[in-house]
Amino acid sequence: MVCRVKFELINVSKIKNGKPILRNINLQFLSGSKYTILGPSGSGKTTLLRLLNRMEEPSSGEILFDGENIKNIPVTKLRKKVGMVFQIPVVFEGTVEDNLLVPYSIKGIPPDKEEIKKALTLSGLKESFLSQRAMDLSVGEKQRLNLARALLNNPEVLLLDEPTSALDYETALTLLDSVNELNRVLGLTIIMVTHQVEHMRILNGSAIYIENGTVLDKKTTQSRALI
Amino acid sequence: MEYTHTLVDLNYLDLIIALSLMLIAAGLYRWYRIGLEVALIIGTVRTFIQLLAVGYVLKFIFDFNRWYLIVLTLLVMIAVATRTVVQRQQRKTKELPYIVGFAITVGSGITLFVITQVIIQIEPWYEPHYLIPLAGMIIGNSLNGSTLAVERLDSEIASRRMEIEAYLALGATARQAALSCIRSAMKAAMIPTINSMMVVGIVSLPGMMTGQILSGTSPFLAVKYQIIIMYMIAFSVAISSFLLTHLRFRRYFTAEHQLREEAFS
Ligand SMILES: Nc1ncnc2c1ncn2[C@@H]1O[C@H](COP(=O)(O)OP(=O)(O)O)[C@@H](O)[C@H]1O
Ligand SMILES: [Mg+2]
Repeated sequence: MVCRVKFELINVSKIKNGKPILRNINLQFLSGSKYTILGPSGSGKTTLLRLLNRMEEPSSGEILFDGENIKNIPVTKLRKKVGMVFQIPVVFEGTVEDNLLVPYSIKGIPPDKEEIKKALTLSGLKESFLSQRAMDLSVGEKQRLNLARALLNNPEVLLLDEPTSALDYETALTLLDSVNELNRVLGLTIIMVTHQVEHMRILNGSAIYIENGTVLDKKTTQSRALI
Repeated sequence: MEYTHTLVDLNYLDLIIALSLMLIAAGLYRWYRIGLEVALIIGTVRTFIQLLAVGYVLKFIFDFNRWYLIVLTLLVMIAVATRTVVQRQQRKTKELPYIVGFAITVGSGITLFVITQVIIQIEPWYEPHYLIPLAGMIIGNSLNGSTLAVERLDSEIASRRMEIEAYLALGATARQAALSCIRSAMKAAMIPTINSMMVVGIVSLPGMMTGQILSGTSPFLAVKYQIIIMYMIAFSVAISSFLLTHLRFRRYFTAEHQLREEAFS
């Protein structure tokens, strides 16, 4: 495996409405690796993820993607390479298929039926879902649909913000299996926020512990994560 | 033209007779304690004063008959329409009057130009008997369409914020992410116009057509005018709401296709 650095954060800080949310973050995410971001509610985990695909701007510091400052990459291109799955799944009007056509309409290219089926299977949804109304899916299925939709951009990185928090125990575990599969089969870099230690163990990636907007050192992280 | 019929003159006694009917109506409402009699009286008085005032203003403009005064009148009409649209909005942002004014000016300006200079070909080009009532109808409809467009766009963007973010996260541009909200807004702006095109002549006779017929115009000519007016109204609503929604949605996004937090507070 190539151990290239996918994302690098250099002295990244974020201040919102005068309140420091992230302070001086220095992190590296290696290509093809898995990471879990842990930390109490309000510690800045979501904000950190949203800086990586430029849903928000850092107040200071630099973020490099494949060694290039993300400010120099067209933002729509960056976001296609860095997919995001939100805490609460978002479905668009229409059927599951309509939802999966959106990435194509954004890119302005004709849809590829085979690619759609592949993304669906990788996300753990059966083909028969295609004609179902997306609004009628269960939360777990909606989250899988969100995963499939992100995959259609052929991303290199997946950002997952507590993707399992709205799911029941069993559904959460199978979703995590799918995420592990995506890392193994497609070599996707996975950066997942969770506050469940068990989910961190299942993902089996490096743990990053955030508290009060700062990343804790390795030793403290281990002691927190092992509780 | 065989139509020699002209409008019967009215004197102030005629107005007083009509006024007494209003008193009967107000009396009826008072008798039944519906509580609207004061509003009815105020409405009666305002109608009288406002229309009389407009009568004098129009008479002055028509008699004076200079292009600059007529252009100025049109500008005042647009300014009043713009103010009305802005006042009806919840989010009265700094730039709103400018974009509303621009959208209404361009939308009704093109329309007014086509109808007066290309279709009717009025002589001289500023002939106020045509220009001012036509502008009134077109600007009035642009006003209603613009109000609905901004209202709907703002409420759609606020309520579909998560969907918009999901679009952006997939690599959509701000415009792509806002497109379904823009569509809803343009639709909302046009629906009343479509409704009136559906029933015109069946359920209602338009005021302008009625007026022309009353004053002795051949019904066919009056109808032709009305058809053109209906199309022109739809056109100006389409242009105004298109321009307005496209100028308005930008304020919700940064140049880097991010949602602007401040725009929602
Ligand atoms: N628009 C905002 N203005 C001010 N503070 C905010 C804003 N959005 C989030 N915050 C604050 O930022 C902190 C971190 O939020 P977030 O990144 O969502 O944390 P987490 O995902 O770890 O729960 C929280 O204290 C939150 O209240
Ligand atoms: Mg969060």
